[in-house]
Amino acid sequence: MSAPAPTRPQAPELSSGAAVRLVARREFVERGRDRSFLVSTAVTLLILLAVTVISQLAGGDDDSYDVGLSGAATAAAPGLQAQAEALDVEIDVRDVSPDEARTLVRDGDLDAALLAPGSAVVKEELEGTLRAVLEQASAALVGEERLRERGLDPAQVRAALDVEPLQIEALDPPDEDADRRQGIAFVGTLLLYGQVFGYGFWVALGVVEEKSSRVVEVLLATVSPRALLTGKILGIGLLGLAQLLALAVVGVTVAVATGAVDLGSEVVTPLALVLGWFLLGYAFYATAFAAAAARVSRQEDLQNVTTPMTLVILGSFFAAIWASSSPDEPLARVLAIVPPFSVLVNPPRTAAGDVAAWEIVLAVALMVGAIVALATFAARLYEGAVLRTGAALSWREAWRGRHR
Amino acid sequence: MLEILELRKRYGDKTALDGLSFAVRPGEVFGFVGQNGAGKTTTMRIVLGVLAADAGEVRWQGRPMDAAARRRTGYMPEERGLYPKMRVRDQLVYLARLHGLPADRAEASTDALLEQLGIADRGADKVEALSLGNQQRVQLAAALVHEPDLLVLDEPFSGLDPVGVDVLAAALRARVDTGVPVVFSSHQLELVERLCDSVGIIKDGRMVAAGGVDELRSRGGVRRLRVAVDAPAGWADGLPGVRVATGAAPDGAVVLELAPDVDDQAVLDAARRAGRVREFRPVARSLVDLFREAVAA
Repeated sequence: MSAPAPTRPQAPELSSGAAVRLVARREFVERGRDRSFLVSTAVTLLILLAVTVISQLAGGDDDSYDVGLSGAATAAAPGLQAQAEALDVEIDVRDVSPDEARTLVRDGDLDAALLAPGSAVVKEELEGTLRAVLEQASAALVGEERLRERGLDPAQVRAALDVEPLQIEALDPPDEDADRRQGIAFVGTLLLYGQVFGYGFWVALGVVEEKSSRVVEVLLATVSPRALLTGKILGIGLLGLAQLLALAVVGVTVAVATGAVDLGSEVVTPLALVLGWFLLGYAFYATAFAAAAARVSRQEDLQNVTTPMTLVILGSFFAAIWASSSPDEPLARVLAIVPPFSVLVNPPRTAAGDVAAWEIVLAVALMVGAIVALATFAARLYEGAVLRTGAALSWREAWRGRHR
Repeated sequence: MLEILELRKRYGDKTALDGLSFAVRPGEVFGFVGQNGAGKTTTMRIVLGVLAADAGEVRWQGRPMDAAARRRTGYMPEERGLYPKMRVRDQLVYLARLHGLPADRAEASTDALLEQLGIADRGADKVEALSLGNQQRVQLAAALVHEPDLLVLDEPFSGLDPVGVDVLAAALRARVDTGVPVVFSSHQLELVERLCDSVGIIKDGRMVAAGGVDELRSRGGVRRLRVAVDAPAGWADGLPGVRVATGAAPDGAVVLELAPDVDDQAVLDAARRAGRVREFRPVARSLVDLFREAVAA
């Protein structure tokens, strides 16, 4: 061959791993600086902060009352405080005249006023804890008055009546933290569902974008379909993980700072569960979404081909919501192990329920197996379908479409 | 050298390629022409490996075309393909790197091309923000950015204004001068005539005519003369070995086809006998004529 040798230096070979890295980096960078991504991250962050702060405000609604005392009722102050302490409420007491008391109560500055032993004034009604406290204090005042009328020393009577509170032995005590753990599990499930579904679907959109813009033909003239698919899934997945980590860091920092949670296993376990199961769930659904998306050439057709995945993930989500409040039901135990339901059901069950180590190991092992099996099928479907444009391909056509 | 050997491809009942063969030498521009559906795009897709042939072979530098050789090929698909939302410069650097160029060379090559194609100021814009003509320039840059050893371009000039055509043609010529063979398809035959060293005319998946442009024009030995005579129409009828190929032009000129053994001076004498000769000159057959003949055959 008398061809003149090219004068420029030859480019080095591009390994498959290098191609995957390049594709993954493009996905990560391009999507990471996409405005809609930044906006959605900010919105998610705000929602997370709002949930944390609101739950803190709601949970921190300690009972505290302002009570006015007038005339002979001022003697009830020590008794009120003792009662308040016993019932774990806070009572601020101040001395007022009866007229003042009525005005302050009407204006809402006082929750109630004791005008005299046996006589109180409130704006609308006297309820719950405050009623019990005032009743007690008032009755004590009236009682002491009567004891004195009969020549008895109230202090002696009080001493005689002062007995130890009832000793209680619980045979099956409720878990003090159960509610809180379920709450965290619920928020984690919500987050996990959003991440797995959102990022998995993003892979589908990316595959169709490459098909509809035909850039896939340029790409596949230089990289293998497998490298393109792997790089895409890795890049988008890493972005999802990064977003999740950022949300976790900010969310936990705020939650700890406001005192909503303590930084301990209570936070770390659910967090680790969400991150770990995000990786497994994303790998599974992203692969399935990619294979489905390769069958169509237009975004409008995407809905149809991804319906099976959407239904499974939505079903898992509702099962997970249910499981976060009934983590030890037999059905929850099974769904927490069987892929792909385990993606969303396992974390709330593990966080809120009573789980044996073997259950978690089995769930993870089955899930990894499912991902490997799916990846084999999905890669072939993707290769068979990704260069075929036009009407949506059937699964069978995609399966047979691979040519190299 | 790129060799296409006996390619065959069927889509269901339809035969797209029926034993197609041709070769493109280093530094040669090969124009690939044919009607819609003749098999041009199918051939190019097979060369780039995005479609598999049923039979036949593509060889590059004497060896079967493989993934490494394809990575060294610049490809412009018929259906243009770029990421619409990616910035022009980022995209070209990315494609160069996917073809194996290290980062620094990818960037240098991208900047040089953007300059050469007159879109250096659009590097930071998203592709979708560019006019169609400029998108086309980016598409060509995408085919050139990795310093390819071979160029395969499907309809690279369609939709371009004359200035765009000139810019692209100059960029191509610069590559060809370094020894890079170019295959391109086009419907604009006068453009093919202007840019190509050799031409292949494809019909129903077969090459019906291929060779140097000049060689094809003179093929068959038929000469043509354009003659304008102040004489009634029909003066040339009945001259031995002469066929009147066209009706009279507005100025009264006709084009005559001469059989190989006919002396053109005898024709001139006949014309002078008929009247005053205002014009008498040989005309080359255009590619359009060649194409019409080849396709009609």
